Amino acid sequence: MAKAQEFSVVGQRVVRVEGYDKVTGEARYVADVRLPGMLFGKILRSPFPHARILNIDTSKAEKVRGVKAVVTAEDTVKRPWGAFFADQYPLSVGKVRYIGEEVAAVAAIDPDTAEEALDLIEVEYEELPAVFDAEQAMQEGAPLIHDNKPRNTAMTIDVERGDIQKAFTESDLTVEDTFESIPQWHCAIETIGSVAEYAPSGKYTIYMNTQTLFMARYRIAAALGVRETDVRVIQSAVGGGFGGKSCDDNNAMVAAILARKTGKPVKTINSREDEFLAGSRPRVNMKISVKMGFKKDGKIRAKQLRIIADNGAYSGKAPAITGVAALRHDTCYKYSDVKTQAYLVYTNKIPTGAFRGFGNPSAEWAVEQAIDQAAHELGIDPAEIARVNAAEPGYVSPHGNRVTSCELRQCIDRVEKMMEWKKKRAEKKPRIGLGLACTVHVSGKRHFGDYDGGSATIKINEDGKALILCGEGEVGQGAATAMCQIAAEELGIPMEDVEISQADTDLTTFCLGAFGSRVTYVGGNAVKDAATKAKQQILAMASEMLEARADDLVIEHGKVYVRGAEAKAVTVADVARARLFRRGGSPIVASGSFDADSVLPDETRYGNESGAYNFACQAAEVGVDTETGQVKVLKYVAASDCGTVINPIGAEGQVEGSVAQGLGYALIEGLRMEEGRPINPNFSDYRVPSMRDMPDLAHAFARSYEPTGPFGAKGLGELGMDPTAAVISNAIFDAVGVRVKTLPITPEKVLQALKEKVK
Amino acid sequence: MKRHVALNVNGEEYEIEMEPNRLLLYALRDDIGLTGTKEGCSIGVCGACSVIVGGRLVSSCLTLAVACRGKEITTIEGLARDGRLHPLQQAFLEYGGFQCGICTPGQIIAAKALLDSNPHPTEEEIKEWMSGNLCRCTGYYKIFESIMAVVQGKVRVEDQRAREHREARIQSLGVYKSES
Repeated sequence: MAKAQEFSVVGQRVVRVEGYDKVTGEARYVADVRLPGMLFGKILRSPFPHARILNIDTSKAEKVRGVKAVVTAEDTVKRPWGAFFADQYPLSVGKVRYIGEEVAAVAAIDPDTAEEALDLIEVEYEELPAVFDAEQAMQEGAPLIHDNKPRNTAMTIDVERGDIQKAFTESDLTVEDTFESIPQWHCAIETIGSVAEYAPSGKYTIYMNTQTLFMARYRIAAALGVRETDVRVIQSAVGGGFGGKSCDDNNAMVAAILARKTGKPVKTINSREDEFLAGSRPRVNMKISVKMGFKKDGKIRAKQLRIIADNGAYSGKAPAITGVAALRHDTCYKYSDVKTQAYLVYTNKIPTGAFRGFGNPSAEWAVEQAIDQAAHELGIDPAEIARVNAAEPGYVSPHGNRVTSCELRQCIDRVEKMMEWKKKRAEKKPRIGLGLACTVHVSGKRHFGDYDGGSATIKINEDGKALILCGEGEVGQGAATAMCQIAAEELGIPMEDVEISQADTDLTTFCLGAFGSRVTYVGGNAVKDAATKAKQQILAMASEMLEARADDLVIEHGKVYVRGAEAKAVTVADVARARLFRRGGSPIVASGSFDADSVLPDETRYGNESGAYNFACQAAEVGVDTETGQVKVLKYVAASDCGTVINPIGAEGQVEGSVAQGLGYALIEGLRMEEGRPINPNFSDYRVPSMRDMPDLAHAFARSYEPTGPFGAKGLGELGMDPTAAVISNAIFDAVGVRVKTLPITPEKVLQALKEKVK
Repeated sequence: MKRHVALNVNGEEYEIEMEPNRLLLYALRDDIGLTGTKEGCSIGVCGACSVIVGGRLVSSCLTLAVACRGKEITTIEGLARDGRLHPLQQAFLEYGGFQCGICTPGQIIAAKALLDSNPHPTEEEIKEWMSGNLCRCTGYYKIFESIMAVVQGKVRVEDQRAREHREARIQSLGVYKSES
């Protein structure tokens, strides 16, 4: 196993490559983009959860001074689009299916004029019966939301491996319960926005705060009815993504339609209310019934899930998210007999989508509580039940996921140590409890066709500096810095001699983008491949210059020398110049690519979804006030196996931020919805954790090395929030003996559960 | 009715023609072109638009620009001086007190307002004060460490002008055009 100490740049606490720009306010976000003649776009949204559009009269709006265009579906090609099912339009065609849906849009000389014009668009609706509950929506006779989806069922999963009945018969203990998660919003401090330009030659240029440039380009081109090359997507600085900016919404499409109609650049920035209604699509709400069989020693013998997932009005990535909730967790622990039934159901509510964890935080909220319940009933330490079942290298899940590196047991050990688990359990105090849960996540996911790859180009400038061109993009998570570290390490040049470009679909080669904890692993491998190839060019040229075999050369700190004869050296800059400035010369430039050695799941959902799997264990100590129901997190610990840590500052930040979102999910987040309408979609009523809400946190990274990763690294971005809600609930149970089974765990629900326990 | 309003921002005078209901946030961002101040929630909850007016921390999304006449306004762009970062900027950089960066100008301005009035706050005072500035990326731990580093005098501010020789950086492709 290679160790981090062997590296010179990888593993160092380096300063972010875009750091100066961010601490000085110079970083350019999409709202900061201003183009000559730019107009401002605003969107008219449906006030009804389900209605037919009979007529739209835009004449009054068009007459407002300063209005340059009003657009409806009539200005579009009326072609549906979507990540998995093409079920939505940029502007409603014929009917609306949720409150907030885009019906029409205005471009005007300033935002106030555009707002004023919105009020003058007259839309005649015929209201239709609506359905807001997923289980009701599945019933015969429920209002049909999409004509081609009987019983409003977007997707069904029915998978059985092994012999589930026999496995339950052979179990010593069966645990069974039902848990419900919540739609959680990303609440990135920056809302979704776009600035679109249209050139008469037929080309759209769109500045976007997207996480996934090439996926955005594909979807925008489909919705506009043009070729991919006719759409250029340029990534601005991105003010937080977490899955919400992976282009499942219509913001950029509407900006492009307005730009084409006006011939001017158009900026559409979501207001905070727009963002809640139809911007970043909240986490898929799931009701999960779990049944698990255990042997006396705590070994899991059987697992059965029934999931009802509330898709909302349009599907986006919800089909894949439901698939993850149904099957992924079977890679965390070793067992062979499982059955999963999952139903993804349309309702007349805000469409749901990708949010950090992608189905895991919903499934683990249920499954990790069932395991904890079994531990208590069997009289086994919850850490021990996790340990006896934990996955290990070489494990193949019932659905075919092949685990290469895995240090889950080490994570459990380190959590025990950081929490003083055994000591605290032995000295159990009233109303104070400990809880623990584990998780598995992917490092990229093979589900967009049979490809889970990335690519990058590296050129060496005449001054010896390397420039990385990569389309994976930077969304704030630190990918750009990790890529620079990987390139510097492979090339043998100092970190300050590396730069990385903004991501731009015209200038960088195809990348899937930032989702599925994939960028460091997949994108990092592509950058490393490009660096390896560029290095070969450097060595070949240096071999001529130094009159030595390329095999005998070393590149270190930007100098090339013959091993053992450091005095005779040339710099990488010397080499780059020598290769270029000669007859028939050429620059040093190389493209690299990587496609994970994973297997696209077949129709029975058997495959190997990722090239590498990352693992974590977390634990909490909580105190419960039985008078008020208040839960106070006294200490939180997280141990993660992400392989080699490329940049400790970035890795720690991922865990810290994930835990914060996980605690929000567990304890405070969520919006009250009435008949499909969120009550008060703003930051006063949707609370996210603030600094004073954060508990004492300790974290650790397992000593781990992923053989297929760049310098041993694998994914980390989502791992930290997957188990958090279950951790908190398990700790509350340990403290006061009750479980709240719906998120968030509010004081009212805790009090109610305590009352019911007394009965 | 538009009127002329003189604003003093980061030590410079700006003469702007504006409606009387113009918010300071838009005057800074759109009229003057100082886009470091960010809009997050538009209702004074998230702190992304924080600026210092006459020594007081305010949400510029709730403040009328005309009300700031004759007062010194400090934005994130006014912190680095003579090629040197403000110690808070240096600390956020070194301790990783940011990720996506959208809340960062507001965080740094809020922290400056705290340290200007209370150079040695307790841990609790920092947590309480900074709870008006939301961050969805960091979980606040590294923001807290960054501020503590300044309080404890651990930050050395270097000449920023040598930056291009010291740090790797993200390269702008120059696609942003300015209107002026």
